[in-house]
Amino acid sequence: MIFNTPIFFFFFIIFLFFYGFVFLRQTPKVYFILVSSLVFYGAWNYHFIPLLVGSAVADYFIAQAIGNCTDQRRKKLWVALSISINLGILALFKYADFALQSVADFLLLFGYEASIPTLQWVLPVGISFYTFQSLSYTIDVYRGDMEPRKGLVEFTAALSFFPQLVAGPILRARHILPQMHNIQLPQWDQVKQGFLLITVGLMKKTTADLLAVPAATAFDGSQSVSLLETWTGVLAFAGQIYGDFSGYSDMAIGIAMLLGFNLPLNFRLPYFASSPVDFWRRWHISLSSWLRDYLYVSLGGNRTGHRYRNVFITMLLGGLWHGAAWTFIAWGMFHGMIITATHYLSSLPALQTFIGNQNIWARIARWAMTFYLILIGWVLFRATSLDSAFTILMDMHLLNDLPEAAQAALPVFGLVVLALGLMHWLDYFVIHHVEKLKERAWLFWSLLVLGQGLCLLVGEPSNEFIYFQF
Amino acid sequence: MNSSTSNSRKLYLKIWLIAVFGMAAAMVLIRLFTFAMGAKGEDFISRPLEALASLPVITAETEEQVMVFGSSMVQAGFSARQFDRELKQQGINVKSYNFGFGGLNPYFQDFVSRRIKEAYQENDKRLKLAILEFNPFQTTKTRFDRAKPAIDAYVGMLGSPQELRDILTSDLERGLLIYNIHYLRDNISAEMVTFFFGRPFRSGRPEPDVPKETAEVVKRRRELGRELSKRFKEDYPDFGDEDWSYAWQGAGTIPEERSQETLDVFKEYYEYQRTPYRLAGDKLWREVSADITHLHFEEELVLAFIRLVKEFQQFSDQVEVVLLPKNSAWIENTPAALERQARVIRRIEEATGVTIKDYQNLPEITPEMFSDTTHLARYSGDVAFTHFLVNTYADDIRRLLEK
Repeated sequence: MIFNTPIFFFFFIIFLFFYGFVFLRQTPKVYFILVSSLVFYGAWNYHFIPLLVGSAVADYFIAQAIGNCTDQRRKKLWVALSISINLGILALFKYADFALQSVADFLLLFGYEASIPTLQWVLPVGISFYTFQSLSYTIDVYRGDMEPRKGLVEFTAALSFFPQLVAGPILRARHILPQMHNIQLPQWDQVKQGFLLITVGLMKKTTADLLAVPAATAFDGSQSVSLLETWTGVLAFAGQIYGDFSGYSDMAIGIAMLLGFNLPLNFRLPYFASSPVDFWRRWHISLSSWLRDYLYVSLGGNRTGHRYRNVFITMLLGGLWHGAAWTFIAWGMFHGMIITATHYLSSLPALQTFIGNQNIWARIARWAMTFYLILIGWVLFRATSLDSAFTILMDMHLLNDLPEAAQAALPVFGLVVLALGLMHWLDYFVIHHVEKLKERAWLFWSLLVLGQGLCLLVGEPSNEFIYFQF
Repeated sequence: MNSSTSNSRKLYLKIWLIAVFGMAAAMVLIRLFTFAMGAKGEDFISRPLEALASLPVITAETEEQVMVFGSSMVQAGFSARQFDRELKQQGINVKSYNFGFGGLNPYFQDFVSRRIKEAYQENDKRLKLAILEFNPFQTTKTRFDRAKPAIDAYVGMLGSPQELRDILTSDLERGLLIYNIHYLRDNISAEMVTFFFGRPFRSGRPEPDVPKETAEVVKRRRELGRELSKRFKEDYPDFGDEDWSYAWQGAGTIPEERSQETLDVFKEYYEYQRTPYRLAGDKLWREVSADITHLHFEEELVLAFIRLVKEFQQFSDQVEVVLLPKNSAWIENTPAALERQARVIRRIEEATGVTIKDYQNLPEITPEMFSDTTHLARYSGDVAFTHFLVNTYADDIRRLLEK
């Protein structure tokens, strides 16, 4: 069930009716959220509901056990069990086939043709999101950052809360559980913001669907493309993944707001970043902060003198989180390298002047370099193989043997740039100027209807959210 | 009821109303937009819809019937009234219909075949002979992919209420989408709108590697086209501008109705149509849009074709599956494509029990009888192919009528 489909609209309308008019007290509301979230999840594949619920139940009781434990060694064992269960689920469903295939490929390098059977299991949608979310709870309890909470239904409802279940933002237990424990009536301003975010998210998602077409031209390898079309495709993918994912996050946050929940911001104008480090403070914030708090810090963070190594490992595993493929690993490694390079270079006195320079040209130069590096990263991320990524990177930088650009290439390039600009303008507007618009009620609601109408008018046949596969 | 409960209900009533009326207002905007554009989903497939609308009249007729069903190649290549005339001269009385429709791959044809079957079965009528075209390049992955923007809208228009309900119960998400397009969006899906407006930004028709036509050639062709339109209006003043004419049994006009002068204009017109530049361009376009040379078949379309043959078998005394003539001067399949085609043909034959007849390379059909690289030309190609069908199936039809 995807947010931008008629089925979700009907689901949400029915849900809202019961949520707002029938289940008015706290406990029935929580039960209703849980049941509805499982229906939402089950609409995709009900066979995986036990996995979701099982994961929640296991972590709930493990957290209780950690809370009841005084012995630090036993606490460690409990949290290790939680990590094993969650990462085990991920390993089994997401990485097992990749690992087996990689072993077979490795043996082939030495001339051994091994016939290793693969599991070929369906990847449960949203598994990477809810396992990380669930894991954060047991780790927080283990670290003493929060007390274990009573109420299994509440915990399961929070974990499976449908607005964020399949593609985030990845919520922290300490953020969502108190809200689930005491569900508030949304303020009118929150309602307006919620509808606004839903519309903006829908517009970004629609734009992303349109950008999928020029992106596919460059990445699918079905035809020879020119230098201009290659760059157009890479830029289009940068826009596609941003619109797709941040659009989904916006809709998730907006829907949650209508229900009285506040979810954290997940994107903050990422392509305006002035360095790779800055990019990760703006892109998929809930994941990057999760990786920082639970992986980077656990590796020792800045304290052990292995900062660069820890950053690199964190980003490498962050890449792997996105998918079981060498391209994602390469993408993670690439970001690990550019972040460590940024840290190193910014420590050099010769470059500190440039980094600290607020002159417009220096800022543009920093932005351009960062954006260029991000685009290189997206080539690794989107390409179907490392070979294909290499070819596209070559096509981006060499003029040799490339065909002539198609007649419409320049207008398409212009539209792609315009689409990227539009999405960022929408975000900038929502972050900085929306209050003025909210004061003019008629204009506000009319623009929302117009925005929704525009989105309903536009469509591409393949409108799956990219991040569902993660 | 305490005040907090009352407040909660008031607020959620507002939210609920905004969500419902906001969406309703957005839908109204869409309807206004499509209305202003003059766009209607039915316009995209008006010929099959008009043909289906004629079925109650067709199935109520007393004559024994023959139907030739397929793509635009059937539409252009089968002259129904000429077929009937020639058979009559041999003492065989049947009424035939041209059910050839452009733009419908077997996935959509399958829906059309079910509507035809229902109409015949409702009136307890059977076809004596159904000649079904298997069109290899309509069955390719490329063809299927290009039709995707229209799938849900076309299914909404071609599906029966029961089929739409079945889709709804088996796949709620898709079912709701189709209902939405069919009932709320005037059969215009968002994908169709995007496809329409995205045309200037897609790769246009590829340019062939042959010299362009001279301005004189283009001018003369236009003049001849205008002349033909003028003569058509004079010869058929009552023509109702329909895409599927019941009076003409789904096919076009026949040479006997036209003057020799008009036929000569037609001949010259087709000569100007068949310039190397246009034919090379048409071939390139068929490669881009239908993979006509390499023929990578789409499983879903092959299965749909098997289903439609089985549909016809349920209300026809005899079902023939044929491959229509191809313009071999321009369309030459690779050996691998021919092998793939042979495999698909074997599969269809095994699944349906019908032996497929390959009429792609008939000696009596020459490249001059085509209007482009795939369609037979009016008054020459269609006449020759229809004559061939008469000769081939006259005995079968006589035998079927005697049963």
